[in-house]
Amino acid sequence: MSSRSGRFGIAAAALLAAPVLVGALYAAAGALGLVGPGASGRPSLARAVRVLTEPTVVQGTLWILWVAGASTLLSGTVAGGIAVVLRGRGKLEGLGRGLAVLPLPVPHLVAAVGGLLVLGQSGLLARVGFHAGLIDGPAEMPALVYDPLGVGLILALTWKEVPFLTLVAVSVLGTRGDALERTARGLGAGAGDVFRRVTWPILWRGMLPAAVAVFTFVAGSYEAAVILAPSDPLPLPVLTWERFVDAGLARRADAYVLALLGLGIAAVAVAAHEIVRARLPGLDGGSQA
Amino acid sequence: MGFLIRLPEVARLGGCAAGLLAMALAGCGSDSESGLDASTLAGLPWDSVVERARGSEVVWRLWRGDPAINSYVDEWVAPRLAERYDIRLRAVDGQGAELVNALVVEREAGARGGADLLWINGQTFHNLRREDLLQGPWAHALPSAAFVDSASTIVMRDFEQDLEGYESPWGRVQFALIYDTLRTPTPPRTVEELGRWIDEHPGRFTHDQSFTGMTFLKTLMYARAGGVERFEGGFDEDAYRVGRDSVFSWIEAHRDDFWREGNVYPSGVADLHRLFANGEVDFSMSNNENEAVTKARQGVLPESARPLVLREGTIANAHYVGIPFNAPNPAGAMVVADFLLSPEAQLEKRRPEVWGDGTVLDLDRLPDRWRARFDAIEDGPRAVPRDTLARYAVPEVAPEYHERLQEDWRRHVRDGG
Amino acid sequence: MTRATRFSALPSLRAWLVVLLAAWSLLPLVLLVVISVSGGWRFPSLLGADPGLDAWRSLRQSTGRLLPALYTSLGLGVGTGGLAAVLGLPIGRALSDLRGVWRFVGAGCAFLPVAAPPLALGVGLQYSFLRAGLGGSAVGVTLAHLIPALGYTSLFFLGVFAVFDRGVEAEARRLGAGGWQTLTRVTLPLLRRPLAEAFVLGFLVSWAQVPLTLLVGQGRVRTLTVEVLSWVQAGQDPLAAAGATLLVIPPLLLMGAAALGFQRAQVVAP
Repeated sequence: MSSRSGRFGIAAAALLAAPVLVGALYAAAGALGLVGPGASGRPSLARAVRVLTEPTVVQGTLWILWVAGASTLLSGTVAGGIAVVLRGRGKLEGLGRGLAVLPLPVPHLVAAVGGLLVLGQSGLLARVGFHAGLIDGPAEMPALVYDPLGVGLILALTWKEVPFLTLVAVSVLGTRGDALERTARGLGAGAGDVFRRVTWPILWRGMLPAAVAVFTFVAGSYEAAVILAPSDPLPLPVLTWERFVDAGLARRADAYVLALLGLGIAAVAVAAHEIVRARLPGLDGGSQA
Repeated sequence: MGFLIRLPEVARLGGCAAGLLAMALAGCGSDSESGLDASTLAGLPWDSVVERARGSEVVWRLWRGDPAINSYVDEWVAPRLAERYDIRLRAVDGQGAELVNALVVEREAGARGGADLLWINGQTFHNLRREDLLQGPWAHALPSAAFVDSASTIVMRDFEQDLEGYESPWGRVQFALIYDTLRTPTPPRTVEELGRWIDEHPGRFTHDQSFTGMTFLKTLMYARAGGVERFEGGFDEDAYRVGRDSVFSWIEAHRDDFWREGNVYPSGVADLHRLFANGEVDFSMSNNENEAVTKARQGVLPESARPLVLREGTIANAHYVGIPFNAPNPAGAMVVADFLLSPEAQLEKRRPEVWGDGTVLDLDRLPDRWRARFDAIEDGPRAVPRDTLARYAVPEVAPEYHERLQEDWRRHVRDGG
Repeated sequence: MTRATRFSALPSLRAWLVVLLAAWSLLPLVLLVVISVSGGWRFPSLLGADPGLDAWRSLRQSTGRLLPALYTSLGLGVGTGGLAAVLGLPIGRALSDLRGVWRFVGAGCAFLPVAAPPLALGVGLQYSFLRAGLGGSAVGVTLAHLIPALGYTSLFFLGVFAVFDRGVEAEARRLGAGGWQTLTRVTLPLLRRPLAEAFVLGFLVSWAQVPLTLLVGQGRVRTLTVEVLSWVQAGQDPLAAAGATLLVIPPLLLMGAAALGFQRAQVVAP
């Protein structure tokens, strides 16, 4: 590469990262008590230590990681299944893929509102159950929203993320799967073997970077969590907002610590994403250059 | 190895980019307004304040979540301000802590103010005053201030804080539980009866995590720890601890019979309304005693919803408007605040089909024709009679009680669940 | 079971899967439309107590908030999408020039604003935006939305340029075209479709954004998502459902147009 174009590339990268770094720097200054509501002007790590060791914060962080992990796994599995079962050029397959991809451009907020109205204890499912004589009232409907396991949130986020992962899965199979499967069949492998030895490994490796991306979005999503999550544990993004608007001015700077925590999780995910991409050969068009 | 050699290059470019960004961001700094501040304006003849406000725009930050309040502000107040004072009113969203945070950051950044008028009370007023983020005194200079019910401690003391002319009263409300006459024909009337009702109807009661729910807990605190008198006269740590423990012991005694065994609480009062309207719980609550009726009108609550005042007393408080330190147009803000306080605007706001927000005016001070029109308001058979409300009204206490109770409830009840 | 019966069972499995997918994808969206005309949707009613167009009527009211919010969202979306597409192209190209480890560092830097939780980003950046006098302005909110949107489009163009044949440009230059001519006559026409897709991508990022709008918009910039969230939190379900329906329509139209364009491009392609 010429050094000139390389320099452009590095400048471009710096430009993209700069706003996040500026935000992180301000949040760090706020976390140290230098700026923001209730700032003392003297740097101190005491707040960061207190906030990061609070059980509420630890649980809220682990909880959002659980939700992100579960919805990524679930949507990845569903998307992979759709891509495998609905392969081919038939009309039915095309229609199915179209339907699976349909929610792609729907905002997270709408997915969450839909989740609340469908899955709530007085939501659509409960009403259908009531009219079908399965339940006598909302209390008998299993609690799927505001529930400690986050089932409703996981389902709503899965609904939202399946389309993206389906697109990725279909494209992975289309670009890399077909040829290799033909070769494997040509070498005499049975249908089960082809799936186990060829289709499946190609699929999961191809979907891995996208899955890391989905995990990251989900872990940082505020609007879906605020609508569907329980009050205990309170997910990290909701907790960040709660502290940011706390009645006590002194506790508002806690939000800066929590924002840094959120940005830190994102940074780790970004690093994981790049490492995954670097380790998996042939995922990146330019890496062979 | 290549990337190690290029590290200084990255650092330099990164630094350049950050510097450029900072320059771009700092480009347009604040442009200070040449006008007078509200306390100076308060010393001028009112006509000259109105003259300065004429033709201006007033940005008012207030909670925008209720269509009834929005249509009062947008469709009734705004056109009259435009017609009479040539003032363009822009009502924009923002409440409580968001206002304080924005002003703190604006002051740090030396940024131009984004609002002329704020809807505030209690804790927000406390924080704004402590951080010196409000202009004043100015509220006493409004012509309509002469009608204000200055004998009422509920209007003249905002969570026990003296207004000192830094905020102008706008409305007053009283906490009430909300129940459904069809589902609960004979509702509990005291805290003790409520506790017994909860035990007899497991899973049918909860409260929300935000302001309304905390006001309910404060009501319990008064009722169970010796009445409001015990907490009056500023924050007292010992009184607080006794009060808090009595609230928490009540909660622990009934918690297993709360909605979802008291492990989950709705985040805001609207979520509680939704649970109530759908029959998931049998009680909702509101800081405004008329909300059961107004929200039924909007279709949010069932027609059979009614307010319920507990015999131990329920908290009454007032809400206000203030002018932030960096308001670009304090004269306009004062004219708007005066209009909001006028008998005409207070009457319209009081009507149950409009908003049902209580007036802060002393009806005895009003000209007869206005008094008669206030007296003629029909709340309908579904509202709590006014003398009942007055009999059971108890005032707010120092904001620290609210703040501490919220913090301790979150830590020990909600998160410790 | 013979091989033949197994295969004949498959089409019906597929048909069932398609039916299931239709219900899964469409049900929540159809429900939103139903609730928006329900006039209050209380248990156990399925269609609402008092069906009517009240929630939608505010579209026509001069003081209603649905239509201004729709326009604000469309304006921000178009502005963000346009900027993100135009800026993402050169940035993505510059990133694609990086090699070795730097390639991953560059992609990581582009992924960073995409991955950063918008709320955390907004809490950290609120000061800078207010400081610059951009708080509460549409310009400020567009710039805030541009941060994640540019990350997306840069990654997108990084992928595009990874397979872009630069020989075509070299050929044009060899034939005497200047830098500008090469750009406008060769490169951009070849990239018309990716540019349109990048615009859609940037539009959608802005369209769905909530926390950055709240924190930078200072209550004055009211997008459709912000209004819908505030209606949900105020218990105004029919209004929230009407707003949510409006939130779904433009993105679906855009995606439909993009899909149609794709089919047409396939037909035209030799």
